[in-house]
Amino acid sequence: MASARESGRLKDANQKRILDEAARRRRMRKALEALEQDNFHDDPHADLVMSKKVPKFQETLESRGGRRKKARSAEYYKQRFRKTFAQLVEEDQNYNPDPPNYMSAQAPPSKVPERHFCAVCGFTSNYKCIPCGARYCSVEALRRADHPPKESYRMCKI
Amino acid sequence: MAISREVFVLDNGAYTAKVGISNSEHPRVIPNCIMKAKSERRRPFVGDQLEDCRDASGLFYILPFQKGYLVNWDVQKNVWDYIFSKECCPANFSETPLVVTEPYFNFPSIQEAMTEIFFEEYECKSLLRINAGDLSCYNYKKKNPGTLCCLLVDSGYSFTHVVPYIKGKKLKQGIRRIDVGGKMLTNHLKEIISYRQLHVMDETHVMNQVKEDACFVSQNFFRDMDIARKRDKENTIARDYVLPDFTTLRRGYVRSIDPVDKAGESEQQQILRLNNERFTVPEIMFHPSDLGISQMGIPEAICHSIGVCPVEAQPHLYANILLTGGCSLFPGFRERVEAEVRSRAPDDLDVQVTLPANPVTYAWHGGALLGQDSEFSNMTVSREEYEEEGHSLCFEKFDI
Ligand SMILES: Nc1ncnc2c1ncn2[C@@H]1O[C@H](COP(=O)(O)OP(=O)(O)O)[C@@H](O)[C@H]1O
Ligand SMILES: [Zn+2]
Repeated sequence: MASARESGRLKDANQKRILDEAARRRRMRKALEALEQDNFHDDPHADLVMSKKVPKFQETLESRGGRRKKARSAEYYKQRFRKTFAQLVEEDQNYNPDPPNYMSAQAPPSKVPERHFCAVCGFTSNYKCIPCGARYCSVEALRRADHPPKESYRMCKI
Repeated sequence: MAISREVFVLDNGAYTAKVGISNSEHPRVIPNCIMKAKSERRRPFVGDQLEDCRDASGLFYILPFQKGYLVNWDVQKNVWDYIFSKECCPANFSETPLVVTEPYFNFPSIQEAMTEIFFEEYECKSLLRINAGDLSCYNYKKKNPGTLCCLLVDSGYSFTHVVPYIKGKKLKQGIRRIDVGGKMLTNHLKEIISYRQLHVMDETHVMNQVKEDACFVSQNFFRDMDIARKRDKENTIARDYVLPDFTTLRRGYVRSIDPVDKAGESEQQQILRLNNERFTVPEIMFHPSDLGISQMGIPEAICHSIGVCPVEAQPHLYANILLTGGCSLFPGFRERVEAEVRSRAPDDLDVQVTLPANPVTYAWHGGALLGQDSEFSNMTVSREEYEEEGHSLCFEKFDI
């Protein structure tokens, strides 16, 4: 009885750790996605259609060579070559599975040990928040970050 | 053998297009994007039209490229139509051959789209699609006759590539891509400044200038960390950055920290205090793991790449490392790369790292030179050939 309860508790703890690990990885992926973003704010003039605002270009195109066919619109090319980056990578994996290719060219992990910095000030970190893994240089920095929520204060010096 | 032939060279970067006829002294460098300004309801700004924009705060970017590859064709077509127009850099493709660049391992359907748009839409007479790095390597070979190899490092907007060239030919198995480029550095700077002192998340344009004006590559990271921890005069790293307000100041600038606050002056100005940000941001190119990216930094990737090349080529590669791309303009970049590669390379080998006078336009100049090569016409595909043989000929001839 007792041992079953014990192992149940252990399992819970393990599960929690795994969940934490998954949550951390998710957070990391989100952080990296944010670094790829073109804009943080919304388009201030989303109603402004660019192809309508550029009549001059059409003019220059048509004057080229005289016999020129009517230039195709930007919209045509948008529809014609509509593929997301993810689709392109997937397609490449099927079409061109043997290295060297886009995937295989990715630089492998470094052999240099990872370094850790304070999430607040960027200096070397001496403390780590156990629940979430964030690093801080001092308890002061931690307080400035207002992190983690008070009830789960569990920091360790590393 | 050199031939006098004009070609139109378009080094089509994700950040800027470097464009012009080969006989011009320099290419024009045109932002490869469309921008919208908060202050300007009436029009978007295409490419360098941004110069007409009075207030460039809160600029909204619309980019043709994603992760270094061309995916938004409507945006790209609008920018190209502007670039090739009389207003910018007029092109006569029915007479002048076009050299256009593409990223390494460009996806086949993007390659087909490139071929199609240039032959069918812009009605090119003849076309050469090529990696920008091939052009840089060609330029290097012309400037340094007798060199057999070149290890190219291209740090642009989207990523950094490390590519070994042996006798003018790239060794594809040796290509290494680090997913860190200028875009990521600017976005990271935006984030840490917004967290530490002032909300600048919407100010990509301004913060990109802050990055270019104030950041540098450290030669001794932990020593500089110690200096940045010091106070007052002992901290030789901290600087102020005067932000533009777009009424009295159009572009920001770096300023040393003035202990006596000149009354009045700083009331008008908005200032960022930059300290460890100045070098922890470019440091990501050397330690992508600082941001949680599990990839090698540049010097480690250089040695890794050279390691897969034939042994007899390795000494030549270490002795001919060439840096290109906008991110190689950070002060200290060349010295740091050279010092770290030196410390990793076999002792008996010579390590030499070259930073050209203009690492951004170096590939363009290579393209202009290649147009004069007697081999050039064998490298291109003509419209007649395309009409007869279609995409398969292009895949055969263009080694992307
Ligand atoms: N003086 C500079 N210092 C640091 N970074 C720079 C400098 N000039 C340009 N850059 C950065 O280089 C990147 C663009 O490099 P470039 O090689 O022109 O890119 P691409 O070919 O991908 O368009 C941008 O992120 C830009 O901020
Ligand atoms: Zn701290």
